[in-house]
Amino acid sequence: MKRVIGYMIGVIVMSSFTFTQVNIKFEQYQLDNGLTVILHEDHSAPLAAIVVMYHVGSKNEKPKRTGFAHLFEHMMFQGSANVGDDEHFKLLQEIGANINGFTTEDGTTYFEVVPSNYLELALYLESDRMGFLLPAMTQEKLDNQRDVVKNERRQSVDNRPYGTANEKIAKALYPETHPYSWPVIGYMEDLSAASMEDVQEFFRTYYAPNNACLVISGNFNPSEAKQLVEKYFGAIPRGKAFERPKPMPISLTEEKQMTFEDKVQLPRLYLAWHTAPRETREDAVLNVLAQILSDGKTSRLYKPLVYEKQIAQSVFAFQGGSEIAGTFEIQVTSKPGKTLTEMQVVVDEVLKALLTNGVTEKEIEKALTSTEAQIINSMATVLGKSTNLASYHSFTGNPNNINKQMDLYKGITPQEVLATAEKYLMQPKVVLSVVPLGKPDLAVQKGH
Amino acid sequence: MKTTITTIMLGLFLTSMISHYVRAGDDIDRTKRPVGKPAPKIQLPKIQKATLKNGLKVWLVEHHELPTVALNLVIQAGSDHDPVNQPGIASMTADVLDEGTTTRDALQISEELESIGASFAVNANFDGSFLTLSTLTKHLDRALDVYADVLTHPTFPQKEFDRLKNQRTGTLIQQRDQPPTIANNAFSYILYGTDHPYGNNPMGTEPSLQTMSREHLVHFYETSYRPNNATLIVVGDVRLGDITSRLEKALADWKTKELPSSSVPDPKLIDRMRVYLIDKPGAPQSEVRIGYPALARSTPDFFPVVTMNRMLGGQFTSRINLNLREKHGYTYGARSVFSFFKGVGPFSASGGIVTEKTDSALHEFLYEINLMRQKGMTTDELTYVKKGLLGNFALTFETPSQIAGNLQNIILYGLPEDYYENYLRNIESITLNDIQRVAQKYLDTSKMAVVVVGDLTKIKEPVSAMKLGEVILCDVNGKPLP
Repeated sequence: MKRVIGYMIGVIVMSSFTFTQVNIKFEQYQLDNGLTVILHEDHSAPLAAIVVMYHVGSKNEKPKRTGFAHLFEHMMFQGSANVGDDEHFKLLQEIGANINGFTTEDGTTYFEVVPSNYLELALYLESDRMGFLLPAMTQEKLDNQRDVVKNERRQSVDNRPYGTANEKIAKALYPETHPYSWPVIGYMEDLSAASMEDVQEFFRTYYAPNNACLVISGNFNPSEAKQLVEKYFGAIPRGKAFERPKPMPISLTEEKQMTFEDKVQLPRLYLAWHTAPRETREDAVLNVLAQILSDGKTSRLYKPLVYEKQIAQSVFAFQGGSEIAGTFEIQVTSKPGKTLTEMQVVVDEVLKALLTNGVTEKEIEKALTSTEAQIINSMATVLGKSTNLASYHSFTGNPNNINKQMDLYKGITPQEVLATAEKYLMQPKVVLSVVPLGKPDLAVQKGH
Repeated sequence: MKTTITTIMLGLFLTSMISHYVRAGDDIDRTKRPVGKPAPKIQLPKIQKATLKNGLKVWLVEHHELPTVALNLVIQAGSDHDPVNQPGIASMTADVLDEGTTTRDALQISEELESIGASFAVNANFDGSFLTLSTLTKHLDRALDVYADVLTHPTFPQKEFDRLKNQRTGTLIQQRDQPPTIANNAFSYILYGTDHPYGNNPMGTEPSLQTMSREHLVHFYETSYRPNNATLIVVGDVRLGDITSRLEKALADWKTKELPSSSVPDPKLIDRMRVYLIDKPGAPQSEVRIGYPALARSTPDFFPVVTMNRMLGGQFTSRINLNLREKHGYTYGARSVFSFFKGVGPFSASGGIVTEKTDSALHEFLYEINLMRQKGMTTDELTYVKKGLLGNFALTFETPSQIAGNLQNIILYGLPEDYYENYLRNIESITLNDIQRVAQKYLDTSKMAVVVVGDLTKIKEPVSAMKLGEVILCDVNGKPLP
């Protein structure tokens, strides 16, 4: 019997807004060693996405040992007991696969999208590095990847305008002991200090099947896939339990104002507040608030700064919800010849008006409409669906939350947006001025 | 002596670990690699075609997996039509197009599209101009209403033009902060010069923006944005009869006009290698570009060139990347690419290189390019890259936007309509001789320019000592310093 399980889209009607309901069908089970397996069939194209997500990121690192989770991600592509140094890439590029990995504060994700007839090869490779990485680890490989990561840091942080701004904000916002106070890519001196023993210890602790989930989505036969998963992953031993970093109470007692001179032409103002972690109602409300502030020509900040007064080159507000904390950020880049104090004055006016009069139903509806479109578009590929399923499993314990993404946004009212804005944006914040070298007078002046 | 013992112990330790792990792997032999099953059949998208009363060609691919529709109007005129002394017109026309119509102002257009969550953009590149729209099917009518209005009744308001000109000037200023962008722009200028459209920044320059007027945009629009100069690609959750009847109504006012003839001139060739250095004081990395004006998309050598370049620098496991990143650790990534446009586009080998190793990296880049030119590749390598290209083909028809992109290729470059049906066969038939021939023909480093953006106090001396050719110090635009 030919089964086609795509996913169905229905429509549910709610009080003021009609959402398109996403319904991704999947099957979830666990191997004896604790590996969570999620299967989602989609036979619309002859390909399969294989995603392995380890629930470990830079927040599992220790101070002075930053950049570890990400350096480790690099090592995972350097061969394992039965796979040679460059072979992981070679075997997958030989079949035309798309391959990569990425590391965040909270998780490390590896993926390959392969022609579906090569599912077994992908499972073999993922299992070999999950179970048998250390025998192939050498000092030489570690040194080489340390150089590559340092180059990555030069390229994406040090040689990029405004590249170190986010590090400076995180450092000011979080206490030194908080794992979100350091950057995912790590500091140069810590990368230099990483030893083989550190790396091995990291692997033994965090790269165990019980700390991972494997998602396969695409064109495959589920009973065959289950057999292959058992065959390749079944005998990998379970890892020891370890403690996860927990949310901790954090707040700024007073406003922190900083100025940084950088190799930039245009000054940029950053404002950052502590807010709520991901997958919470407040995270959703703050996402809506961010869109009201800076999405589109008629948004609260874009309109006066960029469209009407034309004193800013660009403006961008966002809620960044991570696993154990969140931040809300506003960035304004000024036009040539303008000061960041001028930017700050307008931002203050806009926030004051918002905190006094609130937002409108119409503004909320616009934000929800665009959120809905974003969610649906994130399901356009088997890779998008796989990474979503893996994240919801890792960070909420329930992959079915992929189908409930819009639920967090249900019934958001102007009163709720106002209350949430009051709760967070009236707290002390970090104010960072990045200005061209030798132009500290363009920074926000004290008293603003 | 002590060292030896340590080594042996480490060796034993490793052996015992391996055997432990293999035992843990139960009854499977992990030294045996799984082989692929027979390749599944690739279902190529079925293109349905129609022509509207005004002559506009419509290509539809139905895709009912998501409740969305994507439109891409491909207009056969882009920055390659910019007058050489006035770059930036095509891209500015695209920017101002959705800033006002006879019945809607800029804010209304933005507001209407946002309120239905549609994403809409107008862009131009060297080869064409593009109006793209993506909307949920349930909002198609409202989205199409705005889309058609912007396309057929734009007013190019002076006020909005002035604002965007000002904003673009800011963007050009910001580009001077970004070493990769400086390198790309200077490389284009050095290869093509300002009297060729590919030598100019498609966004224009600060002087060209100052002299650009609203009339330039209106003229470009009136001349180029015509149904007989365009094809509309539709991919998504609609049927042909349904979409064409909506389009007939929405685009009834849009009329054909005779098109002026145009073609991209051939660039001048480079006679010998020169090295162009641009100073970025304190830069921790040097941005390197090596190349020359190479080939147009219409070249009959397209397939062998793409196959050859995949091995040279077109994928992670290419020779260039494995050498510079994995073997030497000079960079986060190095690559080579043939950029195919309607006219003769550049070949470039590039990467961001740690400052101290700039000269060594240049040496390795040139070594790999020369080696490919002299020796071509091995039978194993050819088998390897061909298999990769064939496998990857299956991955390029998954989403509506990928499908639309593939259709756009056929339309923009006038490729045969059975291009994708024959794609696999064209790759399969490539021989080692083909590779050898195109490598010999298209990888002559003595006719290439070397451009480096970096800290001159650290790189000028070692790079000059390589004696690759005349060393020319340039400003951020790639113009020689006096």
